[in-house]
Amino acid sequence: MNRSRVGVSKPALWRLVFVAFCLFVLSGLLISRLVVLQVIDRDRGVGFLQQQGALRSVRTAEIPAYRGLVTDRRGQPLAVSTPVVSIWANPQQLRDSADVVQLATTMGQTPEALAERINLYSDKQFMYLARHQTPDQARAILDLGVPGVRGEREYRRFYPAGEVVSQLVGLTNVDGEGIAGVELAYNEWLRGQTGKKRYLKDLHGDAIRNIGVIEQARSGKSLALSIDLRLQYLQHRVLQRAMVETGAAAGAAVTLDARTGEILAMTNHPVFNPNSREGFDYAATRNRVVTDVFEPGSTMKPLTLVAALESGEYTIESLIDTSPGRVRVGRKVLPDPRNYGEISVSRVIEKSSQVGVTKMAQQMGHEPILEVFQRFGLGGEPSSIGFPGERSGVLPNRQRWSDIEKVTLAFGYGLTATPLQLAHAYAVFANEGSQVPLTLLKRNEGESLPIRQVISPEIAGQVLEVLNRVTGSEGTAQKARVDGFRVGGKTGTVHKVGDAGYLDDKYVALFVGVAPIENPRFVTAVVVDQPKGDNYGGGAAAAPIYSAITDGVLRLHNALPAESHEARQLVGLGGGA
Amino acid sequence: MTLRVLPACLLAAALCSALAVVYSSHVVRELYSKQQSVEYQQWALQEDYSRLLLEHSTLASPHRIISIAQDDLAMQPPQLSVHRLVQFQGGQQR
Repeated sequence: MNRSRVGVSKPALWRLVFVAFCLFVLSGLLISRLVVLQVIDRDRGVGFLQQQGALRSVRTAEIPAYRGLVTDRRGQPLAVSTPVVSIWANPQQLRDSADVVQLATTMGQTPEALAERINLYSDKQFMYLARHQTPDQARAILDLGVPGVRGEREYRRFYPAGEVVSQLVGLTNVDGEGIAGVELAYNEWLRGQTGKKRYLKDLHGDAIRNIGVIEQARSGKSLALSIDLRLQYLQHRVLQRAMVETGAAAGAAVTLDARTGEILAMTNHPVFNPNSREGFDYAATRNRVVTDVFEPGSTMKPLTLVAALESGEYTIESLIDTSPGRVRVGRKVLPDPRNYGEISVSRVIEKSSQVGVTKMAQQMGHEPILEVFQRFGLGGEPSSIGFPGERSGVLPNRQRWSDIEKVTLAFGYGLTATPLQLAHAYAVFANEGSQVPLTLLKRNEGESLPIRQVISPEIAGQVLEVLNRVTGSEGTAQKARVDGFRVGGKTGTVHKVGDAGYLDDKYVALFVGVAPIENPRFVTAVVVDQPKGDNYGGGAAAAPIYSAITDGVLRLHNALPAESHEARQLVGLGGGA
Repeated sequence: MTLRVLPACLLAAALCSALAVVYSSHVVRELYSKQQSVEYQQWALQEDYSRLLLEHSTLASPHRIISIAQDDLAMQPPQLSVHRLVQFQGGQQR
């Protein structure tokens, strides 16, 4: 035993020592390599390893941001973001899954259709199964627990007022970015900042642990428009009904508060439903009030009247001889419907007499008229409410003026304007001769406004008086009257322009009016494009729309009826008796 | 003496630190699950809020109000003849 131990150990000892030494060195090498990788070499060692690990398990996800609310001036919502869930899947996991049938029935699709779609994405890692499901629908799908099917929170835009404000409020795309209207114009303000968070995922892609939020999602800010939804709805209803009655191709109406420059309502025909993209008509998304220009025609005559009054050669009672009811300018003969004889300047506007206006224009020349148009904000500058696609009409800018051009300018041919520009021009009469910049946003109370004096308050008052007479018993716009109130305005009937010049049988009917005359504040412009039948004129097609709209405007703003004004003065109620 | 105390101290410190790690990761997990539930709550509240907002605006839509007023309640705008002008005390004008 003793002998054998010595016998074995003698030659084995160095071997044992050798093996032990080798093992020690090896483990030393391993440890030192480990230390190098884990501690010393940051670039190719620890950094690289961490990066590779993260690539396989750490993911960044977006936290959806809440898009701001769009409301009317009284806080009624016009565009609301609601939480929805988009269902997505990894087609690789779903391809051979037996759950497809159940999944399809829950989503309300046929299994074949779903299988076909999954096939389409067979070489991808991601596909949407159903976007923008309501939370309840999504829960039903996700509760099936099909592997590879996951939900993602998103927001969907919903428009409670629907088609009533569709062109104005506009649209967002499926990713929540504004693509039209106010949604586009104020996209930066409304949209929030999408946040980012990091999480660990397992082999199947399921989140197992959140590491942390890298960037908090910030909600978008809400926006209060100057629109009054009650008025907007009223205008919409009146306009749509009139469109049916007149058989017109299109129409637009806009109501302003002349004191503040706020746009209170703005409607168009045709309309579209912003909550459904089925049967979507792109042309109907156009907000004609700001994007469409046309010749304003006779609605420019009150501005010509301003030029005449400013020249000092005319007062509203000056007499003009319009007999024999037509006048020759160059090669063209401009007729009146009948011979009005010798009438006052006021009556010229009331009757919308071509002969009378022609004589005034010939007397004054075209320069002062053009200058007044410019001063009222026509041509050049757009009305600049920052609306996408907003246009500005043009004023003629030519070196040589023929005789007929000088005259037709006075009754609104040869220049173009949008309905909004037209209303803004008339706001001068309603605001004692001054103009306030337009806005689509609600102004704060007591906000100081950059007021531009365009004409003297006296002339504005005189024109207002004439505009009121246009709706009187001798005027062309008796249908614009509003029960109980004194209103004023001017009709316009313009030939549409086709490929070969003016069309004989296609018209645009216009009316622009101011109400109430005693305390002018609300300006409404109405445009009816191609009214059918005999009632195509501004007085027949557009004036009744103005009347119905203004009736509502005055009622909603508790305006004092004209008779009450008289009663006040008679009884001495006015001014704190 | 120091040779025996030092390792013991180090061992105790290591143990403490290990336990602290366990404890803090427990706290993190707890806070995280709390945050998750609060976030979920926020989401659910927002769901409710926008649903109520939509419901409210549907119920208060001018279209509905007008049809109820005109059809169900047979209401109509007052005629001018029945208007009465009321004067505020102190002669304030509307």
